[in-house]
Amino acid sequence: MSAVNLEKRRSFDQIAWNAMRYSGVLLIFLAFGHVLLQDVIVGVHRIDLDYVAMRWANWGWRMYDLFLLAFAFAHGMNGVRQVLSDFVHQERHMRAVNVALLVVWLVVTLMGAAAIFGGVRPVQ
Amino acid sequence: MSRLKTALGGYAGYQGREGHLAFLLHRVTGLGTVLFLTIHIVDTALVYFRPELYMDAVALYRSTLFGIGEVFLVFCVFYHGINGLRIAAFDLFLKKNWQIQTARSSVRWTLGLTLLLWLPATVIMVRNLLIHNFGLFGG
Ligand code: HEM
Ligand code: HEM
Repeated sequence: MSAVNLEKRRSFDQIAWNAMRYSGVLLIFLAFGHVLLQDVIVGVHRIDLDYVAMRWANWGWRMYDLFLLAFAFAHGMNGVRQVLSDFVHQERHMRAVNVALLVVWLVVTLMGAAAIFGGVRPVQ
Repeated sequence: MSRLKTALGGYAGYQGREGHLAFLLHRVTGLGTVLFLTIHIVDTALVYFRPELYMDAVALYRSTLFGIGEVFLVFCVFYHGINGLRIAAFDLFLKKNWQIQTARSSVRWTLGLTLLLWLPATVIMVRNLLIHNFGLFGG
């Protein structure tokens, strides 16, 4: 095992520890609201391109989705990092895990954000 | 691999009653939700990148298999959220509630509250599934 910069490590993990809790409180509203609306009130059988276009015609809902995207996915990916750190004990391997998760998080978040800003495009 | 065995063996063999159950469920439901969410962000992004494919993704969500999965997903989100709120509240403002008896009863409250939200949601989702996929209730 290589030397670990404990000072730096601890402060990042402390921030992450707090971020998991505060983002969680925010996600109660964002995620519960979204799931109750989409799964329970509307239901998958009424979701189609027109439905999404209708919702995203309202910038308020676009911002809601953007916050959900930013907070839920960052929280979830950091959660995955936490779980994996219980299994991966070598600093070198953990660094590879962190880089891989960071790349997945960045690519998927950018895709989601592009869709929210780009909106629904007409079928060719 | 022995690390994996040690960690998984600990998950299974540790006898921590309510706290142990709460931890395992929190982990499994969190991982389940983030797995779904990753796929869900990409399939929603189809509306912009490949709109002609979006309905194929939605068709999967409308299948009976996914309809059942959806019921579990909603459980995952509800349980993980309520339990997460319990963890956050105790860690940030109510540290003394980690005392063993209070912590145990709070897990039972968490499970109760989860069921209270989840059961009515399940009735509605299953009803939708029966209407659209099985033609029941005049569907
Ligand atoms: C709905 C509101 C939510 C709340 C209040 C919440 C709260 C929390 C908290 C406090 C933790 C840290 C647990 C610990 O350090 O012991 C956590 C972990 C986690 N969360 Fe959430 N969360 C929520 C939503 C989500 C969502 C939507 C996802 C998926 C995208 C998710 C995925 C995870 C994962 C994978 C972990 C790591 C589990 C572990 O370390 O065992 N959470 N959550
Ligand atoms: C099966 C249950 C679900 C259904 C039917 C559903 C439905 C939808 C729909 C129709 C959209 C398009 C935009 C809109 O109408 O607002 C959307 C976007 C989104 N949903 Fe869900 N949702 C579900 C579960 C979830 C869960 C559990 C989460 C988070 C933990 C979530 C997070 C998001 C995010 C972040 C977006 C924006 C995606 C993007 O920018 O590409 N959804 N959802």
